[in-house]
Amino acid sequence: MGAITIQELTKSYGETQVLKGIDLAINDGEFLILVGPSGCGKSTLMNCIAGLEDITSGELFIGDDNVTTVNPKDRDIAMVFQSYALYPTMTVERNIRFGLEMRKYPKAEIDSTVKDVAKLLQIEHLLDRKPSQLSGGQRQRVAMGRALARSPRVFLFDEPLSNLDAKLRVEMRTEIKKLHKRLGTTIVYVTHDQVEAMTLADRIAVMKDGVVQQFGTPYEIYNDPANRFVADFMGSPAMNFIECTVKDGNIIIESGGQHHEVKVPGTEALKSSGLDSVVLGLRPEMITEPKPHSDSGYISQMSLNVLVTEPTGPDTLAFGEWNGQEMQARLSPEVGVKAETEGKVEIQVDTGKAVLFDPKTGARI
Amino acid sequence: MFKYLENQLPKLVMAPTAIAMFVCMYGFIAWTVGLSFTKSRMMPQWDFVGLMQYEKLFANPRWMVALDNLWIFTFLFIVISLFIGLMLAIFLDRNVRAEGALRTIYLYPMAISFVVTGTAWKWILNPGLGIEKLVRDLGFTDFEFRWLVDQDMAIYTIVIAAVWQSSGFVMAMFLAGLRGIDDNLIKAAQIDGASTTRTYWHIILPMMKPVFFGAIVVLSHIAIKSFDLVQALTGGGPGYASDLPANFMYTFAFNRAQMGVGAASAVIMLCGVLAILVPYLYSELRSDKQ
Amino acid sequence: MSSMNLRLGRTLIYTLLIGFALIYLAPLYVMLVTSLKDIEEIRSGNLIALPEHINFSAWVKAWNSACTGSECEGLAPYFWNSVRIVIPAVLISTIIGACNGYVLAQWQFKGSNMLFGALLFGCFIPFQVILLPMAKLLAWLGLANTVVGLVGVHVVYGITFTTLFFRNYYVAIPNELVRAARLDGAGFFAIFWRIFLPMSTPIFVVTVIWQFTQIWNDFLFGVVYSGPGTQPITVALNNLVNTSVGGKEYNVDMAAAIIAALPTLLVYLVAGKYFVRGLTAGAVKG
Repeated sequence: MGAITIQELTKSYGETQVLKGIDLAINDGEFLILVGPSGCGKSTLMNCIAGLEDITSGELFIGDDNVTTVNPKDRDIAMVFQSYALYPTMTVERNIRFGLEMRKYPKAEIDSTVKDVAKLLQIEHLLDRKPSQLSGGQRQRVAMGRALARSPRVFLFDEPLSNLDAKLRVEMRTEIKKLHKRLGTTIVYVTHDQVEAMTLADRIAVMKDGVVQQFGTPYEIYNDPANRFVADFMGSPAMNFIECTVKDGNIIIESGGQHHEVKVPGTEALKSSGLDSVVLGLRPEMITEPKPHSDSGYISQMSLNVLVTEPTGPDTLAFGEWNGQEMQARLSPEVGVKAETEGKVEIQVDTGKAVLFDPKTGARI
Repeated sequence: MFKYLENQLPKLVMAPTAIAMFVCMYGFIAWTVGLSFTKSRMMPQWDFVGLMQYEKLFANPRWMVALDNLWIFTFLFIVISLFIGLMLAIFLDRNVRAEGALRTIYLYPMAISFVVTGTAWKWILNPGLGIEKLVRDLGFTDFEFRWLVDQDMAIYTIVIAAVWQSSGFVMAMFLAGLRGIDDNLIKAAQIDGASTTRTYWHIILPMMKPVFFGAIVVLSHIAIKSFDLVQALTGGGPGYASDLPANFMYTFAFNRAQMGVGAASAVIMLCGVLAILVPYLYSELRSDKQ
Repeated sequence: MSSMNLRLGRTLIYTLLIGFALIYLAPLYVMLVTSLKDIEEIRSGNLIALPEHINFSAWVKAWNSACTGSECEGLAPYFWNSVRIVIPAVLISTIIGACNGYVLAQWQFKGSNMLFGALLFGCFIPFQVILLPMAKLLAWLGLANTVVGLVGVHVVYGITFTTLFFRNYYVAIPNELVRAARLDGAGFFAIFWRIFLPMSTPIFVVTVIWQFTQIWNDFLFGVVYSGPGTQPITVALNNLVNTSVGGKEYNVDMAAAIIAALPTLLVYLVAGKYFVRGLTAGAVKG
């Protein structure tokens, strides 16, 4: 079936190693997202899975088959490309048929498959057109249709939405998720957009410099990042990183001219690490106006000098300083307006989900 | 095994070309360079004689005439072609009517063989019945125009015919360059109060620098390779007064059985091309990287 | 005032452009009228006078009885020689160029860029530097003075240009297309045949026209590598003009020159757009 196992996979171009020992196990039917900044090796890894790039060392299994050296066309996979890669001289219908014809499917079967796929993706009225006559969103659908027609064991999506405008991107995102629910086929999906990663994935592999930094569910990645890079890369607006002094397992925050000793989870680990300063990682939504019913046991109240505010609609981001370093808080719009005019706001800080990093290595404590 | 072969297909497809190229280009160049260091005459003989053939070559007055002619021809050919080509391009770019037809007329000589061009101009410049007679019939009975048979002037007839053939092409290059310029730039210059002449001189022409370089490379390349035009127009004559290196090489290598000298002259021609090409490619590659 | 100036400027521009157009057309006009006169009229009249009686005998003679050296069969046999050389040489070099361009643009391998650079350089070498060894090679292969030999020479040195054309055309096509087709199960040749060739019509036209013009107009290879029975038309034209058996017949010379120029001129008139595209691509990039 469509499970994928990647064992100690490396890929080098001459001297430079772009994938440095990747180990991933993807369950059958899972939606996996490879995410990371450009040049992290995510697209190379996808091409290795597709067989479009040779693997330097390591092994790759799809289902129970070792496909490490198998030709791309014999891996039973289909791929949707960033540029869609529709064959420009063929009509939409011929584009969808092409892969089936190459595999010598009987004509009747091809006809009915094309019909089904076109119906599923609502592109029946486009079948006679050439790709150049289609809009971006339509091309996207055709590209997916071409992949779908072959009903492969695994779908690969290489940044499929990055050429669409913002609104269409959100629509297609939902559509892809629905499609996955309906087909239940394994999907490996490459993107550099962390919002896409969070919304679509069953599990996410965050990559940097050819190494998987963390492999886990969106919840784990967001709330329990393995290191500072992952914490920084995932989430928008970005997490606050404030360098703080440690005192008796508590950390010290200077805000609004006041001095606060704040309790954080993992006191024992912090004590045993022997560090006298740490980087406090705290998402903006943990810093809000005081709320009457919050009681995590990690609540502190303090005031914040507001430098500037950015209303986003549902809430307002307020920029201030802690320990002389820039940070942002997430306020309700009403409080945001007040903060902007007064230049000062009372906030509550919930450090219950705070994460701590080694200032030198960026490793999680 | 099958997969291995399939992966090698691109290389297999390129292989015949690669072999042909290494044999028929680089191999042959090496062969010719090698030959130029031997005393081969009728047949190749592989005994090394150092620079003897080059000394013979540069002691040969006919070669020196060919070299002198090459400088004169290349210089005039390039300068005049650039001037005419640029002028036509600028005027054509000023929204003229029937632009397509004019362009077609300026460029058609480029589709014609140099041999045909030579034949035609040989007739037009014919001292007895050509332009000379035409002007005399108009009443200027003392008019003389016999460059074709004049030792000192024959090379200029080649310049005339070559310019006629190639300046339209220069026009096409410049026109493409001018069409590539953003209209807003010209509007901005007009708003700044620059006259048309100033706009061209200070803004547009400086932007045409790459086209100038490209055109100069192509034209000098045509000049160095020029062979058929001379052969058809003057036959190198009178005597050998209008020989170019390519004609010299042909005469010595194939008609006079002086292979060594012929090879040496070919090597000098190659060096001439390299002297233009290497700096050009170098600057192209450098700008590519930026 | 300024509209006066403007009108003056426009007049000047048109005068110059039309003047130059006349200069460019003049040789063709002179050739044409001369070829239609008889030799008496040429001697008595002048270069640009229209013929008093239109007379096609010079054309007939140029085609089938003018002397090109010791033979006196006109240009016809050499015209067909050129056709026999040009057609296979154009087809073969274009097809090889298409395959090469496809590989160099879409199936790059280690060293393929170096190979392309080395090939590109071949567009520039003065052919004098390969004339002698090529003559030896043709003699060794028994192809000296044959049509096959000439076709071979034109193919070998034409490949550089055809490869350049196709490579530059295909390099603009995203490699994802090849990747998609590979996943769809198509191999190297299937992708070329079913996906790349169908979108290559414009570049085929450009390349075929370029090669046709180059090879039809070639004189150097023709004069060096052909024998008495296999000379192309350019060589025959040159021989015809320089044969001085029984007085100069300028009208025949001019008719012969037009005959030699006609095929490429026709191609230029019919497909000038593609001709210019090839010219600029071949020159600027090459």
